[in-house]
Amino acid sequence: MEARGYARSRRPLPALLLILLLPPAAGAAGAADARWSGQGTIPHLQSIFLGRCAEYVAVLSPELRDKNCTAIWEAFKLVLDKDPCSVLPSDYDLFINLSRHSIPRDKSLFWENNHLLVTSYAENGRRFMPLCNVLYGMVGDFLSWCRQKNASGLDYQSCPTSEDCENNPVDSYWKSASIQYAKDSSGVIYVMLNGSEPTGAYPVKGFFADFEIPHLQKDKITRIEIWVMHEIGGSNVESCGEGSVKILEERLEKMGFQYSCINDYKPVKLLKCVQHSTHPDCALNSFAEHLCS
Amino acid sequence: MADSRPKKAKICLCIFLCLLVVGVIAVVVGVRMWRHSSEHMKWNGTGSTAHFQEIVLERCYNYTQLVQPELRDRDCQKIREAFRNAFISKDPCSATEEDYHPLMKLVNPTVPCDKTVFWSKTKELAHQYTKVQRELFTLEDTLLGYIADDLNWCGDTGSYEMNYQSCPHWKKDCSNNFVSVFWDLVSKRFAENACGVVQVVLNGSISNAFDRKSDSCSGSSINDLKWIIMQRNIKFTCQDNYRDCGPFADGRQPSPRESMTSCCLTLRPNTSSGSF
Repeated sequence: MEARGYARSRRPLPALLLILLLPPAAGAAGAADARWSGQGTIPHLQSIFLGRCAEYVAVLSPELRDKNCTAIWEAFKLVLDKDPCSVLPSDYDLFINLSRHSIPRDKSLFWENNHLLVTSYAENGRRFMPLCNVLYGMVGDFLSWCRQKNASGLDYQSCPTSEDCENNPVDSYWKSASIQYAKDSSGVIYVMLNGSEPTGAYPVKGFFADFEIPHLQKDKITRIEIWVMHEIGGSNVESCGEGSVKILEERLEKMGFQYSCINDYKPVKLLKCVQHSTHPDCALNSFAEHLCS
Repeated sequence: MADSRPKKAKICLCIFLCLLVVGVIAVVVGVRMWRHSSEHMKWNGTGSTAHFQEIVLERCYNYTQLVQPELRDRDCQKIREAFRNAFISKDPCSATEEDYHPLMKLVNPTVPCDKTVFWSKTKELAHQYTKVQRELFTLEDTLLGYIADDLNWCGDTGSYEMNYQSCPHWKKDCSNNFVSVFWDLVSKRFAENACGVVQVVLNGSISNAFDRKSDSCSGSSINDLKWIIMQRNIKFTCQDNYRDCGPFADGRQPSPRESMTSCCLTLRPNTSSGSF
């Protein structure tokens, strides 16, 4: 799984299942032609894209009724004509311009290495609004896409990741979306990190570090709250004030942000405990002392 | 000079005729549009969800490619067609289960044993539970439930259009509308296919956890449920504040007054589950 450098683990478990269940014939043929290390274009990309956009506008955020999903798709589609190693974040400018919308104050949730947990906790944008619950993040979530190397038409066998080339369609998309998301965030900013991740809770080279932090608007942000979550019964690689988390804290301080850090933020930990109800760390009386104060 | 007057008259006549033709066309188009807009019946419920067809197709692809990739060979275009054909052009108060049979045939809902979760008046909580415990399924985690969740749909007799203005309200208009019949049918199938240990998430904080007053496993509504279950030869156990199903996902620990009741039912061999 790609989880290093720029390639954030945006496509965890379901994607892993997809790889395992690819039909042998396609797999064999694909192996012969496959040039890239990432998954190929998702079948029915256009239908999925348009449907997600329609759903976002109709069901999830009716106040965005003026968004034109066809125009947004046409703008996105432009990158599908480009060489898959020549797609820049700026190629998505029109797409972002047409799909951007305001993010409610105090609802921004940044994260690294806990995509599924963030999705569960955010409750489809109701509790928090991480990038995957914003229109320009939602349409591409868990998907991949790219043109063929030497021909027009989409490549369904494989697509480049950062290991193949930097300017690939998917990474450039997320860079562009991350930049906009950071620019539009305001109020209290929340960051969820994974303190059980062996390579460190705060990837010094990653989407959050390179594309989100630099674009946070100091005049719109009151403070930043970091949650360092650990796997229940898992290793405690880093906590607040340690290792890469300390690097993050120092960076934020230097930038002039007021920040705080919480280990295993209780509401998120309770959610994780749903899967580990018998573990001693999840015994309710261990929470009581914090909740009864 | 004498020639220009007849010519002028001809020009005027031509212009007049053109205007007349344009006027007639405008009137005809206007009448047709007015008739078209008033063609749809007026009901008491909200209209069909905007872009219903696109959403159905996308959700089907999303589910079969990403959520349950083992269903990748399902033909989502066919499923969308079958769904649409169930209700389009029909009287929206004439829905029957047979209307949905072609759709049901395309989708075979099977949930592995011991993985079924029912809910009543606890939709958000039950879904949060299955979102974290991904091997468990509520109805809305199966293909058809996933496709239709929170959507609304209805047509009109003799029209190929969906009615986006209004749809029949279950109480104020008719109960055999296409949305209600759909959910009745898929719920029934879901329950019939359940096997092994089944979980049910109920809300003990409201007065009708299961149709009657209750606030715990010893309450009367839960006893009603227990009686119904035991009549069907199914073992019944109930736990107050069942840890695996709660606490509240926002981190609130239930106060002594609040309680979330959860009941576990075990099916004995050779018996079918009951539907709730």
